[in-house]
Amino acid sequence: MLLLSIFHDALKNLSANLVRSFLTMLGVIIGVASVITMIAIVEGGQLWLVDSIEKLGTNLLTVWKKRLTIEERRLFAGRHTQLRYGDALALRERFPNLGVVPVIEIDGQLKTGNRDHSGRVTGTSPEYPDIRNFHVAQGRFFTTTDIDEWRRTLVLGKTVAEVLFGSQSPIGHEVKIGDLRFTVIGVMESKGEVYGRDFDEIMFIPITTLLRFFTGNDKIQYITIYIPEREQMADITEQIHQFLVQRHDGVDDIRLRNQGEFLGAMEQTIWTFRVVMGGIALVALLVGGIGIMNIMLVTVTERTREIGLRKAIGARRQDILLQFLIESTTISLIGGCIGVVLGIGAAYGFGNLVAQSMPGGGDWGAVIKPPAIIIAFSFAVGVGIVFGLFPAMKASKLDPAEALRYQ
Amino acid sequence: MLILLQQLSKIYRTGAVPVYALRDINLEIDHGEFVAIIGQSGSGKTTLLDILGCLSHPTSGEYWLDGERVGQLIDSQLTAIRNRKIGFVFQTFHLLPRKTAMENVQLPLMYAGASRTEQRTRAQELLTLVGLGERMTHFSNQLSGGQQQRVAIARALANRPAILLADEPTGNLDSQSGQAILDIFDQLHRKGQTIIMITHDPLIAQRANRCITLSDGRVVADTSALQTAGAMK
Repeated sequence: MLLLSIFHDALKNLSANLVRSFLTMLGVIIGVASVITMIAIVEGGQLWLVDSIEKLGTNLLTVWKKRLTIEERRLFAGRHTQLRYGDALALRERFPNLGVVPVIEIDGQLKTGNRDHSGRVTGTSPEYPDIRNFHVAQGRFFTTTDIDEWRRTLVLGKTVAEVLFGSQSPIGHEVKIGDLRFTVIGVMESKGEVYGRDFDEIMFIPITTLLRFFTGNDKIQYITIYIPEREQMADITEQIHQFLVQRHDGVDDIRLRNQGEFLGAMEQTIWTFRVVMGGIALVALLVGGIGIMNIMLVTVTERTREIGLRKAIGARRQDILLQFLIESTTISLIGGCIGVVLGIGAAYGFGNLVAQSMPGGGDWGAVIKPPAIIIAFSFAVGVGIVFGLFPAMKASKLDPAEALRYQ
Repeated sequence: MLILLQQLSKIYRTGAVPVYALRDINLEIDHGEFVAIIGQSGSGKTTLLDILGCLSHPTSGEYWLDGERVGQLIDSQLTAIRNRKIGFVFQTFHLLPRKTAMENVQLPLMYAGASRTEQRTRAQELLTLVGLGERMTHFSNQLSGGQQQRVAIARALANRPAILLADEPTGNLDSQSGQAILDIFDQLHRKGQTIIMITHDPLIAQRANRCITLSDGRVVADTSALQTAGAMK
């Protein structure tokens, strides 16, 4: 009963200084709204990233060459320490049920008629479309025959095809890469940007053709391996590692990474992001709290005579403490409610903004989870209590005789 | 005996030189008395009011109130005594703004832990007693000075205090309203209420049946009001 009447008094006092109360609340409102918005954006970003990575395929294992230290290089001099096309062929022979795709990328300039285009030319094998879930929309991808005969066949990404041929079908046309003539045999479907890479800008040629005519050796950049049974990922990763080390005369110069690990690393990054963003938002909330403390100190000074009177007629210390604490908490409570509403609005507003500005209609929207709202709201109320405590203590400790005669 | 002061002193040591506000006061006040404490400013009458009202501690000496030795009690105990045994009436009324006459009178009852109904019944009874039965739901800033002081008296009487302690109760009022307030005091006194009133005005002190004169922190005279008025002439 007493609490209810104190709360009622608090509302009356706040409405008596409407502008001041609102300005004080603004700090809490902005704080709560930014906590909710930031968390929602990061949460949405995480969902989008995980989704993108899963699009790339989580059954994939990638084998890279490890950079050796000077010491190691001297130690292993003369030994077989490169990732070579032969490694891929050997893997394919040893693990026939896995998809083994060697890849090498070079910069190239494409020319046809009076149009040209510079970009990354990727040399790979016919299994690429299947294991990357990235298929040909028009024509065909190259086959083992193209590989075996070092044919100069070319598959264009959608954007590249548009740049070089406009709306015309490029199939059967000749394109020069550097000085060599290639025949366009296919155009890839549109995949858009996946994890920072625009798949529509890629051009594919048979890997053997690339090694023979461009790099002139058999070094490759990486091997992508498709493992049908995801549960066997760890086992097979280990087997492949051992197999390759053996092939490299016992030198451990390779690095294996699967998308699952990659996902884990990404999640860790996002977690860091969340902590940083949340931290910034909490600082805003903290500043709001200082605003509350400031205004409560003013209020206590203004109402010194009232405090003196209340004490004279029998208010105990805890009664005064509670009165001012409830007043500061009321500010943060109301501010918190408004902040939650604004935060949800801002998060959705942002989500739509991003979705519209993303190429190909990205689906990175803000994701609002109840825990975020609860955390933001309880922090706001906590801030009201913590920052209201000092002014309330000050009020409760006033000497009644002095307070009554305060001018 | 309601009040007993023995060798009571109050020394303020805030500045470089200690200030002797009260020196060796010995005083007895009985149930039902109407006492005026008179003195120039600086005579120590405000300090005496603070001590009698349990708002501050004496530096030395004894203060017995209604059989309790209150001089050395801790703050929380003094708060309880103020709530139950003392009713304050101030020169500047000290009503809470944005609260009705009723709510102001209910305040000491609320702090005493009375129920809502008790608070309301008692407040209505008291406001009727001071002649404000028609204005119970008016906000304090909608009332005239005299009416505000009457609300303050009703508030002071809320917990049936042993002493009604008034500090220049007519100081901020015109003479007519002042007289009305003093009439209420007379009426309460006749019903047996102990009243201690602090004033600098001998004519107002005349309304009491006993007058204690303070000067330089000492009691210099303690007589019936008629005698004081006579001596002043």
